[in-house]
Amino acid sequence: MTRKYELVYVVSPEASDDQVADLHNQVEAIVQRIGGAIERTDNWGRRRLAYEIGRHKEGTYVLEVINGTGELMKEIDRRIKVTDLIIRHLVVRVDETEAVIARTKAARTKTSQRRRVARGLPADRLPGEGQRGDADDDRDDRFDMGNERGMDR
Amino acid sequence: MNGGRKSFGAKKGARGAAGSQSKDGQRRPMFRRRKVCKFCSDKIDDINYKDTKLLLPFVPERAKILPRRISGTCALHQRKLRVALMRARQLALIPYTAE
Repeated sequence: MTRKYELVYVVSPEASDDQVADLHNQVEAIVQRIGGAIERTDNWGRRRLAYEIGRHKEGTYVLEVINGTGELMKEIDRRIKVTDLIIRHLVVRVDETEAVIARTKAARTKTSQRRRVARGLPADRLPGEGQRGDADDDRDDRFDMGNERGMDR
Repeated sequence: MNGGRKSFGAKKGARGAAGSQSKDGQRRPMFRRRKVCKFCSDKIDDINYKDTKLLLPFVPERAKILPRRISGTCALHQRKLRVALMRARQLALIPYTAE
């Protein structure tokens, strides 16, 4: 039973880039040994932690999207727990929630298309029609809601 | 005169409706903006723990989760929000407490 998981781990700030790459290789080795595939790897880089984890104030975040079985994730989890360089990690199963999200999105576009056709409009929204999307946020120069709040406290 | 407003007030419970009557019995409409769920109105399906930009408005200064009665989030999305916030907290993306 292959499932989709997301693994995020926080590497200690003392670790060098090579060590971070080495950790990724270790995870990859386990995945290949037990059977599975890494779909995507994303290094978020060094980030400030919201709270101190054992005197560390920063950490390097790495995200791995892994297709595999529960046993594989169990083994990865066990290995990460004994790795001192990783100060925090989280494994989340995502395939079911992703399916739910895709379903609701599909249902929404379907209803909107049905309604638009019923009103005698083309099924898809034309460019420049309707409400402005999030992409237009940049035009608002007075309220910059970036992430100054919270993260850097 | 405030018949139109009253139906909205019912949604927010007794406190919103109580303000509509002043001391001398004169009816004065109490305007309170109706709260709507951000995730429903913006059609955000995915409340993800990685998206701190989305989550941060729901953790005020003390870093507690903003209650539904303040934010106006619907029950479904508040549940999803709570899960996302708790995951983000584990990864130190969002604080548990502020000092």
